[in-house]
Amino acid sequence: MRTSINRPPTPVAEEDEDHQPTLQEIINIKLIESGEKERLKELLRERLIECGWRDEMKALCRAFARKKGRNNVTVDDLVQVITPKGRASVPDSVKAELLQRIRTFLASASI
Amino acid sequence: MSTGNPSYTNPKPCKHLADYKLRHGLSGYRSLQKLLKTTPNGRTSVEKLDTKIPRCNSCNGFQGRLYFCLICSSVSCSDHTLLHSQSENGHDVAVDIERAELYCCVCCDQVYDPDFDKAVMSKHFMGSPRNKNGDESIGERLVKRRRLGSSVVEELVDLRKSKQLVSMRDRRAKSCYPFGLRGLTNLGSTCFMNSVLQALLHAPPFRNYFLSEGHNREACRKRSVNRLCLPCDIDDIFSAVFSGDRAPYSPAQFLYSWWQHSSNLASYQQQDAHEFFISVLDGIHEKESKSSNRNRDNGDCLCIAHKVFSGLLRSDVTCMTCGFTSTTYDPCVDISLDLDTNNLSPKNTANKPIKPNENSSMSTLLGCLDLFTRQEKLGSDQKLYCRNCQERRDSVKQMSIRRLPLVLCLHIKRFEHSPVRRMSRKIDRYLHFPFSLDMTPYLSSSIVRNRFGNRIFAFEGEESDISTEFEIFAVVTHAGTLESGHYVTYLRLSNQWYKCDDAWITEVDEGMVRASQCYVMFYVQKTLYHKANEDLSCLPISPRRDTFLPIAGCC
Repeated sequence: MRTSINRPPTPVAEEDEDHQPTLQEIINIKLIESGEKERLKELLRERLIECGWRDEMKALCRAFARKKGRNNVTVDDLVQVITPKGRASVPDSVKAELLQRIRTFLASASI
Repeated sequence: MSTGNPSYTNPKPCKHLADYKLRHGLSGYRSLQKLLKTTPNGRTSVEKLDTKIPRCNSCNGFQGRLYFCLICSSVSCSDHTLLHSQSENGHDVAVDIERAELYCCVCCDQVYDPDFDKAVMSKHFMGSPRNKNGDESIGERLVKRRRLGSSVVEELVDLRKSKQLVSMRDRRAKSCYPFGLRGLTNLGSTCFMNSVLQALLHAPPFRNYFLSEGHNREACRKRSVNRLCLPCDIDDIFSAVFSGDRAPYSPAQFLYSWWQHSSNLASYQQQDAHEFFISVLDGIHEKESKSSNRNRDNGDCLCIAHKVFSGLLRSDVTCMTCGFTSTTYDPCVDISLDLDTNNLSPKNTANKPIKPNENSSMSTLLGCLDLFTRQEKLGSDQKLYCRNCQERRDSVKQMSIRRLPLVLCLHIKRFEHSPVRRMSRKIDRYLHFPFSLDMTPYLSSSIVRNRFGNRIFAFEGEESDISTEFEIFAVVTHAGTLESGHYVTYLRLSNQWYKCDDAWITEVDEGMVRASQCYVMFYVQKTLYHKANEDLSCLPISPRRDTFLPIAGCC
């Protein structure tokens, strides 16, 4: 079987064998594997819709698209513009509720 | 704001998507289907990859949006998608893992392909093997139903006969107000009847039917045994009201006939206007469907009441465990809406001062329609039986409008019952309502499409012949309490509003109508509204344009 010697080596993501997973990564893995992340996401969606946050973000997106012109806007643009405003306007009550849920989970997952 | 957008359009694909489709067709979408995971609430994501936690090929990152290349299945984060398409020729199209949406790495933007959305949607509907008759969620069992199509509309809009009526101007007419404006005397707390009659008298298709002898009186007299016929009496009222005589008219014969029909409501007590409206339509239907074989094969009733007012409501009940949706259709002659007492209070959105001009606390008709078509979580005491799971499950119910009528009657439920105190009371809350109404967002096609997120999806049996734009022509308003009050109707003829308060009819301005407490609103399809105005425009409009100029004297 012929192999091509001119073929460039297949790129491989650098495997850092000393790489200890950060705490963030560990928590993330546990959340996903137990299915808790999915449940938290659903809860968050519900709360953000209820309090009108999503409608606010929609309005911001519309305003931005109108200003730039419909054909000059990409999803990436919108995400970049909306993200800081979105993060800042999440109600404290929603933050508190989710934090509580995560704490409870962490306690039960004994991290 | 562009209003010309249809409910969904096929956007032009970018060059890269077009190239991809040319080269790979649908094979990529089909193999992706195996990796898709769906949830009962309509969400789709890409899962079943090698790892539970997808990581970017270039930077090993796992946060933010991640994209799955349709050609080589490698994962890139949003920072490195461009890099991927640059290093691998032709690897331009990817899928957002969390949302199952197409993305073009070169354009750095989301792209749309109906074929892709179709593949995603069929994944949603694949998982109900027990429904042998085929999925009700996509398919329409009742697609065979012949729609109230344009042919019927043309029939009712045949104005040749009624145009003749218009050209013969009655010299007795004291003023140059539109035809058909005539007060109705109150026969003893009958304002509920007068208010609805005024609305019916000016519902364009209904009016045209009666004015063009749609109800054949000769044939009727011969056929009817007990000589009581609601349509005949309505025909009398039409003849009297459109005769040109402006003195108030007493619909006594009609009242008598109606009492015969709805004996449980026969009294001099005050009645509910909406209840009256329903019973009148019922009376017309009873008489007309008996007199002739007026049913099409598919069960659509051809009596004038149903032809004009009947629409079709769709109810979807979705099991929250498996996602299986059960759909039923029910005909309706009106839609009863709960008031949207808005939950959104400005103080919820964090740390923002309350803006004084924010209308978030005012109820609007659109808000009520949103409320009517929202996904309603049925309580855990209301678990419904899911055919797929074969047991009772938590469910979500959603209403939508499958077919719009020619005349849309919207009834606001202005009463609430307190089971604790065993009392009912009236809700006087002000409701803002538009004069022009576009019902597109409340159609089944829009509602069902929105359930699955950002998809382009052709809804089988989608209506394109009946328009969704409506114009208001009558508002029945109420003042008072549940037990005692007064009904007044505002009519809109040739863009001029008239207040019909029993025997007194006055010209009023828009502001007065907007400020009134609406109870039942009548909207007609825009095309029929403009045609109707054309007839009336043969007559000159009042030159003086005085407000509060009474047409009818006191009785």
